[in-house]
Amino acid sequence: MATTVLPRATTYSRSRAYEWLTTTDHKKIGIMYVASSYFFMCLGGLLALGIRTQLAVPNDTLIPNALYNQLFTMHGTTMIFFFVMPMLAGFANYAMPLMIGAADMAFPRINALSFWIIPVSGLLLFSGFAFGGAASAGWTSYSPLAEAKYSGIGQDLWILALLLNGMSSILGAINMLVTIFKLRAPGMTMLRLPIFVWTVLVTAVLLVFAVPVLASGLVMLFIDRNYGGSFFDPAAGGDAILWQNVFWFFGHPEVYIMILPAFGIISEVLPVFSRKPLFGYKAFVLATVSIGVLGFGVWAHHMFATGAVYLPFFSAATFLISVPTGVKMFNWVATMWRGKLRFTTSMLFAVGFLISFLIGGLDGAFAASTPVDFDITDTYWVVSHLHYVLFGGSAMAIMAGTYYWFPKMVGRMLDERLGKVHFTLMFVGLQLTFFPMHLLGLAGMPRRIAEYAPTVWQPLNVVATIGAFTIAASMLQFLWNMFTALRRPADAPDDPWDANTLEWATSSPPPPYNFERLPEVRSERPLFDLKHPELRKPATAAAVVVSPGSGH
Amino acid sequence: MAATTPQVTAAAHGHAQKGMDTALMGMMLFIASEIMFFAGLFGAYFTFRGQAQVWPPQGFEVDPFPLPAILTVILVASSFTMQYATIAIRRGDRTAMNRALAVTLLLGLIFLAGQLYDYSNLPFSIRSGVYGSLFFTMTGFHGAHVLGGAIGIFVVLSRGVSGQFSKEHHVAVEAVHWYWHFVDVVWIALFFTLYFLR
Amino acid sequence: MRRAAIAWTRSLLALAVLALVVGACAEATPGNQVPNFFPAPAITDQGQASESLYAFIFWIAVAIFVLVEGLIIFAVLRYRRRKGDDELPVQTHGSMGFELAWTIVPFIIVVALFILSENTQQKVDASTPNPPLTVDVTGFQWQWTFDYKAQGLSFTGQGTDGPTMVLPVGEDVHFRLHSNDVIHSFYVPGFFFKKDVVPGRTNEFDLTLDQTGTYTGQCAEFCGLGHADMRFTVQAVSPADFSAWVAKEQEAAKATPSPLPSGAQSLTLSASNTTAFDESTLSATAGQPFAVVFTNNEAAGGPPHDFAIKDPAGSSNLLFTGQPLAQAGQTVTYSVPALAAGTYTFICIVHPNMTGTLTVK
Repeated sequence: MATTVLPRATTYSRSRAYEWLTTTDHKKIGIMYVASSYFFMCLGGLLALGIRTQLAVPNDTLIPNALYNQLFTMHGTTMIFFFVMPMLAGFANYAMPLMIGAADMAFPRINALSFWIIPVSGLLLFSGFAFGGAASAGWTSYSPLAEAKYSGIGQDLWILALLLNGMSSILGAINMLVTIFKLRAPGMTMLRLPIFVWTVLVTAVLLVFAVPVLASGLVMLFIDRNYGGSFFDPAAGGDAILWQNVFWFFGHPEVYIMILPAFGIISEVLPVFSRKPLFGYKAFVLATVSIGVLGFGVWAHHMFATGAVYLPFFSAATFLISVPTGVKMFNWVATMWRGKLRFTTSMLFAVGFLISFLIGGLDGAFAASTPVDFDITDTYWVVSHLHYVLFGGSAMAIMAGTYYWFPKMVGRMLDERLGKVHFTLMFVGLQLTFFPMHLLGLAGMPRRIAEYAPTVWQPLNVVATIGAFTIAASMLQFLWNMFTALRRPADAPDDPWDANTLEWATSSPPPPYNFERLPEVRSERPLFDLKHPELRKPATAAAVVVSPGSGH
Repeated sequence: MAATTPQVTAAAHGHAQKGMDTALMGMMLFIASEIMFFAGLFGAYFTFRGQAQVWPPQGFEVDPFPLPAILTVILVASSFTMQYATIAIRRGDRTAMNRALAVTLLLGLIFLAGQLYDYSNLPFSIRSGVYGSLFFTMTGFHGAHVLGGAIGIFVVLSRGVSGQFSKEHHVAVEAVHWYWHFVDVVWIALFFTLYFLR
Repeated sequence: MRRAAIAWTRSLLALAVLALVVGACAEATPGNQVPNFFPAPAITDQGQASESLYAFIFWIAVAIFVLVEGLIIFAVLRYRRRKGDDELPVQTHGSMGFELAWTIVPFIIVVALFILSENTQQKVDASTPNPPLTVDVTGFQWQWTFDYKAQGLSFTGQGTDGPTMVLPVGEDVHFRLHSNDVIHSFYVPGFFFKKDVVPGRTNEFDLTLDQTGTYTGQCAEFCGLGHADMRFTVQAVSPADFSAWVAKEQEAAKATPSPLPSGAQSLTLSASNTTAFDESTLSATAGQPFAVVFTNNEAAGGPPHDFAIKDPAGSSNLLFTGQPLAQAGQTVTYSVPALAAGTYTFICIVHPNMTGTLTVK
């Protein structure tokens, strides 16, 4: 077994606050990303509760239209750019270098910069509330509504915040890619990478290629609004549809950016708690890469009703992209099949993900059919779909990842009984909130409306509101679990879950340099192989010592 | 036994395993993202061009001669001097590298000055409808990237003059040289699109 | 354990079928139906084709849902780790056969769905060369105008209910969509259809209605402050009733309003933006008709405005709606009938957030 002993890092002599503010350690940065993301999730959640309270009653006058429009705009923007994306970046930051046996990310200082941009840009975004109104043109900021004559300074702040946030994403993505390509432990070939690392890789490629396009659109919009530009306002000779094309060219890869790492987390959790390897590793890699590539070819399916899209191509591509996603679903189920399932909270969330993401995937397939899309687009059907994939998908996976990696990150276990309550409340709340929205959309309820008139829509809206408050209760309880866990002594074992990958081959939390000794890497489950030498195939028994610098 | 030691020193010095230096790989990916930024702007340009009856619109015909062509020659020449500087340091010739970097920087700054002069003589501004918006946004952001590259060259030149580079250690020069080529290629694309393809 | 798993799966299936049946039987009239999985039948030929496709996709989705959720729940119940069982299960890494199966079968399904979808799209896109009726729809923040140009009729909505579009059934109707400002969307759930109303672009489509009745419509592309209130109504009538309606409206349009008595009071009012009138208070004498000389001071190309008086009793009715709308730069004189003494709120029907107080004594 190849090992090494590394020199001890020096201990800090300054205050803990200074340590955290100036750290370039990927583990601390990862934790800060996660903490910041939970903070913004709560903010975004409060905005959602405002929306749901308003919609519980028809013709409600509780929240004036102007404020409501800010609520849903800020809710979407916050959840996407300040909760899901940074949260997944945080898990990637924390776990990926450990999983590949590296000591840190390739560019630690840029890593710190990437993180600190997040709270700064978040402050910029929310400052709109103090300047006469936050952005209120929807998170998609369609033109001409987002132009200066229809939207105030909140929109400019939104643009600047997203430009900064985008910079953070791009730098983070470059860091991830270089780290994965260059800093893998000896023996870790590309096809022995944990699946989570593969999903991070493909996501990082998507970020590098998609986010700059958003930046170009934001820049053009800013020029329209502040320098007399004419890009997107037809009244000035511009093209309103151009904004949508530029935005969605980013926007569609963006949704894969938000789901692929979530897929990766599930693909780590399910094998551990099924005590079997992930079924179809290579197929999974192929499916992930296919989704990444195809994801650049479907953007106009968000624009079917504009009349400005070549429908057959985008419809076909959209139908096609459901195939690799389906392959993954089946591979996950096959992973559990004939396994020995342990239902820790993390595993419960993973199963909750499977159940919910399936619904989100299926209801999205309806929209691939253009004649059907003409009815359901821009209605609550789409709100249902997007929340099933982003909440039932990404957020559930994030919860699974949190319960899974929390002990590694802070050296304490989260309470499993509280965790099961969290899961039950959140899963039930999710179904109550978003399932009825399918029906509301079919009944004709458009999205982004501050109030509605038909009283027949009220009962399902009330159910959704109850669901939203149920989710909120589950989050409060979850935060309580984390808070109390942090006050317990840090006595979590190295490998509490009997897991497979390298991060569990070191202490919880790991030392600053990550590994005292690295196990040899012979498959995508190096720790499993170490623990089960009886399963080692005789042919490879001879290849024990790995010479230095042999790379891959 | 050295299984993990290579990573620790690798992260510090950037040459982990065989293959591209980490900093250089980072720069390549950064350039890829910058290309996508310009792709968005070019996409906007070709969208308007494809939809317009008359393009460029009346009164917006820009002449590639004499100034834009001269500026193109200057910028392309600067890519040659930049390449020369890189080749020089690859064989250890610090003096030649410094000289070539200085010339590259000078050419880059002349390009920027010339661009500003060209701007001042154009009969339209960014406020002049779609074409004005496109022209100034595209060339303006290109100019900003030239400025960024010039700052990079300045930093590398300062470090070079203080003797920080050698045949074995000059990753920053390699990185900046790729960035500079990228800036040049974008200009060639812009020049061709705005002044010839129209 | 296995029996429990099977029982669970069976009951879940039964529950799912029950829910669907109940949903399908729920009351069904488009526009005001109780929400369920099977919207009331669309009232256009094109919409019905789309709805059939929806139903087909729905049942395939249900089948996949039942199959996969069933497998998940079965696995969760059947393969629980028994207490004390620490033996590793068989470490199956994968199966090429299964991978091919669950790639090829879904691929075939989506290809089939795509082909069906395209067939239906052809029906939706179909148009006739000389449609008997063309309606021009103009959307602007936050109201609709329906123009029947060939018939010389124009209707702009009042308040949140918006205008009514009367259409004949059984005939091809050609629609043209225009926007005066931002993107809106023309959506009638009863049509199972919507199309965006985009400035700088005229979207056109044909529909053939086949059922009389009254159906609601609403803007479906977020367009700002009044987006939620940008509604309208479609009234489908028989061709005979339609001709009669056209004739009646043409007569009404010709009728000139009764002139104001000489010496009637004349008030001036203007608007230069969409947030507030230039004057926030007006006063008039009770019991006498009066004129409001209204000037739209917006720059050329700006939005239209008008002057309307709300019912002080609080209903959403308007006591008076100034017609026609004053376009940017225009001055229009509105003849307001006599009002009883009291305090009234006046608004712009296009921008209902613009309000003022009219004191009548």
